[in-house]
Amino acid sequence: MITRIEVLASPEDGRGKTLEKALKAKGKTATVRVVDVYTSEHTKARSAKFKSSLANPVTQKLDSLPNNFDWALEIGYLPGVTDNVGHTAAELLKLAGAENDNDCFSSRLYLIKGDLEQSDIEKLSQNLSNSLIQRATIKSAAEFKADGGMNVIVPKVHLDNKGAVADNIDLNVSDEELETIGSAGIVNKDGSRRGPLGMSLLYMQAVRDYFAREGRPATDIELETIAQTWSEHCKHTIFASPIDNVAEGLYKGYIKRATKEIRKEKGENDICVSVFSDNAGGIIFDENYLITDKVETHNSPSALDPFGGAITGIVGVNRDCIGFGQGAKPIINRYGFCLADPRTSPEYYRDKNCTISVLSPETIMKGVIDGVEAGGNQSGIPTPQGFVTFDDRFVGKPLVFVGTIGLIPRKINGKPGHVKKANPGDKIVVAGGRVGRDGIHGATFSSVALDEGSPATAVQIGDPITQKKMSDAIIKEIRDLGWYSAITDNGAGGMSSSIGEMAEQSGGFHVELDKVPLKYPGMAPWEIWISESQERMTMAVPPENTDKLIELFARRGVEATIVGTYTDDGRAKITYNGETIMDMDMDFLHDGNPETPLTTTFTRGSEAEPDMDEPTDHTETLLDLLGRLNICSKEFISTQYDHNVQGSAVMGPLQGPGRVYAETSITKPVLTSEKGVVLSQGLFPRYSDIDTAAMAAAGLDLAVRNAIAAGVDLNQLALLDNFCWCSSDEPERLGQLKRAVETIYEMAVKYETPFISGKDSMFNDFKGFDADGNAIKISAPPTLLVSSIGVIPDVERSIDLAPKAVGDLVYLLGATKDECGAGEYYDHLGHLGNNVPETDSHQNLRLYKLYGRAARDRLIASAYALNYGGLGVALAKKAIASQMGMDIDLSAIDSELRSDKLLYSESTGRILVTVAPQDKDAFEKNFKTYEHYTMIGHIAYGNKLNIKNILEIDIKILDKAYKQPLKDY
Amino acid sequence: MTAKALILAGYGLNCEEETLHGFEHAGLSGQIRHINDLIEAPQELEDVQILAIPGGFSYGDDTGAGNAYAQKLKLALWEPLQKFIERDTLTLGICNGCQILTNLGLNPPAGTPYGDRKIAVTYNETARYQCRWIDLKITSTSPWLSGIERMHIPVAHGEGRFMMDETTLKTLQDQGQIAAQYIKPDGTPANGEFPYNPNGSLNDIAAITDPSGRVLTIMPHPERAMFTSQRDDYMKLKDTARREGKPVPETTDGMALFHNAARYFEVAQKKSA
Repeated sequence: MITRIEVLASPEDGRGKTLEKALKAKGKTATVRVVDVYTSEHTKARSAKFKSSLANPVTQKLDSLPNNFDWALEIGYLPGVTDNVGHTAAELLKLAGAENDNDCFSSRLYLIKGDLEQSDIEKLSQNLSNSLIQRATIKSAAEFKADGGMNVIVPKVHLDNKGAVADNIDLNVSDEELETIGSAGIVNKDGSRRGPLGMSLLYMQAVRDYFAREGRPATDIELETIAQTWSEHCKHTIFASPIDNVAEGLYKGYIKRATKEIRKEKGENDICVSVFSDNAGGIIFDENYLITDKVETHNSPSALDPFGGAITGIVGVNRDCIGFGQGAKPIINRYGFCLADPRTSPEYYRDKNCTISVLSPETIMKGVIDGVEAGGNQSGIPTPQGFVTFDDRFVGKPLVFVGTIGLIPRKINGKPGHVKKANPGDKIVVAGGRVGRDGIHGATFSSVALDEGSPATAVQIGDPITQKKMSDAIIKEIRDLGWYSAITDNGAGGMSSSIGEMAEQSGGFHVELDKVPLKYPGMAPWEIWISESQERMTMAVPPENTDKLIELFARRGVEATIVGTYTDDGRAKITYNGETIMDMDMDFLHDGNPETPLTTTFTRGSEAEPDMDEPTDHTETLLDLLGRLNICSKEFISTQYDHNVQGSAVMGPLQGPGRVYAETSITKPVLTSEKGVVLSQGLFPRYSDIDTAAMAAAGLDLAVRNAIAAGVDLNQLALLDNFCWCSSDEPERLGQLKRAVETIYEMAVKYETPFISGKDSMFNDFKGFDADGNAIKISAPPTLLVSSIGVIPDVERSIDLAPKAVGDLVYLLGATKDECGAGEYYDHLGHLGNNVPETDSHQNLRLYKLYGRAARDRLIASAYALNYGGLGVALAKKAIASQMGMDIDLSAIDSELRSDKLLYSESTGRILVTVAPQDKDAFEKNFKTYEHYTMIGHIAYGNKLNIKNILEIDIKILDKAYKQPLKDY
Repeated sequence: MTAKALILAGYGLNCEEETLHGFEHAGLSGQIRHINDLIEAPQELEDVQILAIPGGFSYGDDTGAGNAYAQKLKLALWEPLQKFIERDTLTLGICNGCQILTNLGLNPPAGTPYGDRKIAVTYNETARYQCRWIDLKITSTSPWLSGIERMHIPVAHGEGRFMMDETTLKTLQDQGQIAAQYIKPDGTPANGEFPYNPNGSLNDIAAITDPSGRVLTIMPHPERAMFTSQRDDYMKLKDTARREGKPVPETTDGMALFHNAARYFEVAQKKSA
């Protein structure tokens, strides 16, 4: 017996009203009624008690649909897709008397009345749903009536995998077949393949040789485990491999070395505590706490299901924080999106027949924004800092960056909070959500894995509340009871990674895979082992603590289960109902992957500098630039992201009364401490079109300079690197990579800003077809995101970008050079140019140290680190932020540059500040030894930005140009 | 004796720590309790004078914000809750807590018994989460709000729109149960205009009390506006203070609520700058 419950919302419902508005924008007048639908097979679902618990009597009606509609559109989830509303309904069903394990499924029905064709409804359905994870049913009123309503669908997963334990895989086959197993996966009995292992022939040969030494065939679960452990995603083979003459590889040879050298140089003033060894990096916050930081990417999943990809990304990086040391409390989230222009509709397809279209840039943008919103807001973590960068080459593969900052006591139960170790004999306990087929082969999936025939899709959707319950239980209670000896999160590779990594500390593991709680029966052991089902943490728990730990989790509504034991016998062992299905040497598993040396080439890209006249209308140029996507306001994102939960907000994403979208934030994470955490980021993907060294340098410099401008001392600042590269199997791309890595090594050492954590994503290429079915490849521009995190001793020292008072003086700090290459101004005019901004870290360092002293003395009333669009945009943003006039005279600047280049050059290392007249002398004295500080004007009465002899624009007009482009998203 | 506050937690509530801090700063003592622990020991409610349900995202807002948590409370703790409210106690629901208490019918219009749902807090008119600072006019004699005329504090919610029928609205108006309304910065009514009224709430309602005034259900977040450094205009305020040679005041609008609670129970006030 299936019960379907329909809850009709009031005609005033905001969700219906918003759809009506969206239809109206497309020229269609309609009324939309929203119906929340719940479906369950449980007998208790028929009870009035359960039904009434789903409907609000003031605004909703139970099981009484109106009949005055023309179309009915229902959207529900496909089998196996995380259905959070369904989960909550199942909890309510439990309250109504159902036993523990019951299923409820949610769907949403729209009843639409208006002048709409079937094709309009289909279009609406496509906008509201994603066929990878959802089903949509459309009925006309007549069909609805004839059928007696909508179809009753119970999207349960049915797997017929009975009896399968583990298959032996014969590796004594031709190299050709070995290569195919590596690239397309193990062969099923029906001849199909299980999906890519992502292993090269070289790797497959090493595996074959290992099992020859063991004297037995490999099992499927062993192969899958090796593939996960050796994957680029987990081993970072490109950064680890010897490259040209750098035998240690890029990671050890540059990134890690930079940190090592900086820490040594700083000696007693070293701020690092845990670098590159844990799920996140950790630096000193104060005498009691560390702060941790980690930035991840979730690019491929977000291309296919933007919402699912982004929410899984953000709750995933939250777990990196929870899994730092003995467990850090997530205190801040940050985000960054690299996207194609949402106002365009490029036609690209995944298949040659042009039937499977890539998602539109608008769909991707809305989806990734919503995903981070849902994940962050529901987890109660503020999201004050982020950015969005646009380039049409992100069309097939957007870049989705998600980061989480954590807070952890330096001492927990007398032991250092960042230290943990799984000991032999400790029980392996997994807590949180159950395991399904979600995200199998997540690191390597392709469209093959997204066959609509597979019931549980490879795309995952995060469940923030399950995670929040787990996180609270760990961070707010269990951690401080000292009941576990180590903890880590389950991310890529699932248990195979988390248990495998922790077992390196103890020296082995024995997992009893039949003990793992499943979402539905019928999964094969290898699937259970590598499933990336979300919201799980793995712990090493001394046997005497397991009972009380599991009981406390249960009292917090969290399932925790013992799934095995950490050992010291050097073996990675798995049994399933007593039968051994995996038994490998730990050393081989973790270090058996053969080295693959890489070689590189490099050619600078560029065009000649364009030969062009100065604009005749400077006003128009500035307004155009303010409206460019990389410059204009993204306020609509900031207001959707809870940026003041935890009561810790100090400097938010919207600054000044004019609400300028800023990319630097300050947070006061401990209510009783005046210290603040300063965050920022920097990236310039387009600079790679000329030189990846310039791209990397500018990104690092901006991440540092934004933080410095906000008031952090350079010696209290640390960095994170996220490389998002493309085609990383090509020597030229590797050459660009090496150049970028060398550059940031040199700069970090110069600034003495250590890297504490990083991540790379090496193949951001879209391979598909254009509208004519021609094969195409669109590569994302090689992109390095540098994120900065620093500590400010008193938030009263923080500096935002908004000028404060009429009469304040405006100073430009730093040199402006002829550097418009690959910048916003040239791109606006259709040029690339040659003169990409080159970063002079020596000069910058001089400035940042002097600035730091001025900031400590509180001589700076506002500051903005120049970036996209240079000085012209910076002046406009300051005027908009303060809603005050400005009188500027550029002739004060000692420069040969013509005015358009002076205004729009993107030379790095510059800060535009305002200073109170009373601080003028002290300020100028502070910078006495520095050549490049120039007073260029003052904050003025009136409502105009006036740049002498160049332009005069009303602030209202600037404001509109800046806020208009994305206002309606 | 110091009055004690109990702040609920669990299942996705998330503002318990800063809410507790507000009470403690005002001189009260307090403790955070997971709902399951309170269900096991409901007599704890007899030993406290203040109950606060903080903001958060209980059950992910699924089936309507605050609904599932309210159902759980109703099933397991209805009688102890009723007894608590009948005593001379104070109850506060902020944001998700407001939604929960409203779903429980604990802010009914006068003449309606506790437990009857006449008021809904539902999806914002924009159907979008809004995190922004707003201005409130206080129009209540509730002990929580005594002496407060206006507040500049933030909202952060996706479902903050009060809805009810006309009779209910009239009763709330007549009985002085409308505790706070959204206004424009110049003090005039928001009149439903976004973003001053951030959710399309009927009659610009931001907060409601029960007929006694001791139960306050408020959508905006006073606990995120307790200290000057939390304010959206903090940068300007501290700059002005420095120019005038004055210290920056430590506390701001939202703290008054917590002080009022302390004052109600005659708890000695902590001196603040």
